[in-house]
Amino acid sequence: MKTRVRIVLLSCALGSWFFFGCAAGRRSEPLRGSLDVSNPKVAHGQVVFMNQCDKCHPGGDAGLGPSLNNKPLPGFLLGFQARHGMGAMPAFDKEELPQTDLDDVVAYLKALRRNG
Amino acid sequence: MPESPVRSPSTRVPPVLLAATLALASFLFTSCYILRPGQGGGKIKSEAGRKLDPGDIALPAGYRIEAIATGLTFPTAVTFDDTGALYAVEGGYAYGEEWGVPRLLKVMKNNVFVPIAVGDSNGPWTGVTYVAAKEGGAGKGSFYLTEGGQLRGGRVLRIGMDGNIQALVENLPSLGDHHTNAPVIGPDGMLYFGQGTATNSGVVGTDDYKFGWLARHRTFHDTPCQDITLSGVNYLSKNPFTSGKKKDTVETGAFSPFGSTTIPGQVVKGEVPCNGSIMRISLQGGKPELVAWGLRNPFALAFAPDGRFFALDNGYDQRGSRPIWGAGELLWEIHQGTWYGWPDFSGSKSLAVSEFTPPHGDTPERLLEKAPVPWLPTHASADIVPHPVPSYQDDPPPAPMAVLPVHSSADGLDFSRAPEFGYENQAFVAEFGDMAPGVGKVLEPVGFKISRVDLARGVAEDFAINRKGLGPASKLKAGGLERPVSLRFSPDGKSLYVVDFGVMAVSKHGPKAQKQTGVIWRIWKENGQ
Repeated sequence: MKTRVRIVLLSCALGSWFFFGCAAGRRSEPLRGSLDVSNPKVAHGQVVFMNQCDKCHPGGDAGLGPSLNNKPLPGFLLGFQARHGMGAMPAFDKEELPQTDLDDVVAYLKALRRNG
Repeated sequence: MPESPVRSPSTRVPPVLLAATLALASFLFTSCYILRPGQGGGKIKSEAGRKLDPGDIALPAGYRIEAIATGLTFPTAVTFDDTGALYAVEGGYAYGEEWGVPRLLKVMKNNVFVPIAVGDSNGPWTGVTYVAAKEGGAGKGSFYLTEGGQLRGGRVLRIGMDGNIQALVENLPSLGDHHTNAPVIGPDGMLYFGQGTATNSGVVGTDDYKFGWLARHRTFHDTPCQDITLSGVNYLSKNPFTSGKKKDTVETGAFSPFGSTTIPGQVVKGEVPCNGSIMRISLQGGKPELVAWGLRNPFALAFAPDGRFFALDNGYDQRGSRPIWGAGELLWEIHQGTWYGWPDFSGSKSLAVSEFTPPHGDTPERLLEKAPVPWLPTHASADIVPHPVPSYQDDPPPAPMAVLPVHSSADGLDFSRAPEFGYENQAFVAEFGDMAPGVGKVLEPVGFKISRVDLARGVAEDFAINRKGLGPASKLKAGGLERPVSLRFSPDGKSLYVVDFGVMAVSKHGPKAQKQTGVIWRIWKENGQ
């Protein structure tokens, strides 16, 4: 029984590792086609993302920071991390990133994940 | 009554909870900047030559790419003459103190290159433009090049079709980290060029010794374009000139030679030519005139179809005595008479905040006590609108048009003009790719691609990327893009020519560029011509 539990746990850990660490994060036009930005929130979120986030997460992918595209975090956790920071990531206060802008960034990231 | 068996605490934890904990730990670990090892694009095993396969490059639907010239050594730029013939520049120098011979070559079919002119050991030749003979007048029908000037200072050169080389400007302050770059002809008929800074962020340090230049030019440092007042911050560093004494240290201030300190309120006299600037001259040469400064390394300049003037500016690195973290590459619209914030701002953001503080490092302190005073252009071009320079304390410098990925080394810039190519009026950017770990740590390779920027929205999107993953082709064991360093649309606007510098490995010992691996790619749209 213990052996079976250990195997299950190890599988979960390895699965998480591959899922979070190695899943394809690239969502850009040459690979996935152009992103639909007809939703004004997504369109505005894209502009805000470019100004505040893209430099460390190019196109939502990894760069200076980790990929956002392959992290299946719910929207509120994405927003929480942007607002409060974590580790090396700086916190963005409401003056620098108003709540409506942050909500739109989350909408953009969700659209990006669905792209392709 | 027998005691009930005691179970160890570990066996009481539900397996689901343990699995969730492990999953969370995995998530945190794969997200954690501190724990994860750096994965710069230059982390490759050096192999001779490079594989070429255009199929390894992904483009938007309907676009095609082909390699039209290969085997070049450190190519940096291309241009076209009156007939549409293609010319390429080989730089003659690569970071890592890799020396060669700068050359201007006419590119023929089947990898035949006809030398037009050959330089000496003062490379790199960083850019070229051609002024058409049909326009008439002196200096027309000639090539205009920027010579980086790693050994004897930067120059702007005019080269005739007969190969005759004439220096229009000499002794530009190019002996340091960054060079004289990006010649471009403005709508006013003047030649505009960029001049990079001597240092990463204003202070000469051991990183400059590692570059190689500090040992050659021990007193070289940044020169401001205007009088500036320093805050008097000095930085302690090891003294590489007394390496035998392990604990020997020196203090160095901003805009000063290595080992020289500064005091609060100290005024440093500005002069032209100067560092971190865009200057211009007439096609006949003469004293350079200042257009704008406060830039770090304006490696690419271009005029948009609507006449607006743009510069690509390489962002700060996490190196040296004053390392800056998380500073993106900046696409600026250039207005004459403006200071753009170096060495205290990245775009319109002050560096003195956590966003630019290296993990476990110090927040960068301001080097300038107050802003350079605004200046009025001596004769403002109607095409380059003077911009009111804000006061340092009240307003930051202007915001850039776009912020590109940190360490992507955005080096090439041109604008699409033709409907046959598409994306009209958008900026196309060549991203050379990161040089980690020398410039700082990255979790995954950054750059190594062509981006396009919608200027109206400030949105950058991938245009040409390696299909198999992030990083240069050599890292991906593929035949795609290596290090795109510049790009230029053909005179008819139907094709985009991309200059690929070639293979460059980067380790903790520095960069190592591989000769004869440079490529010129051509991208076009099917049914567009």
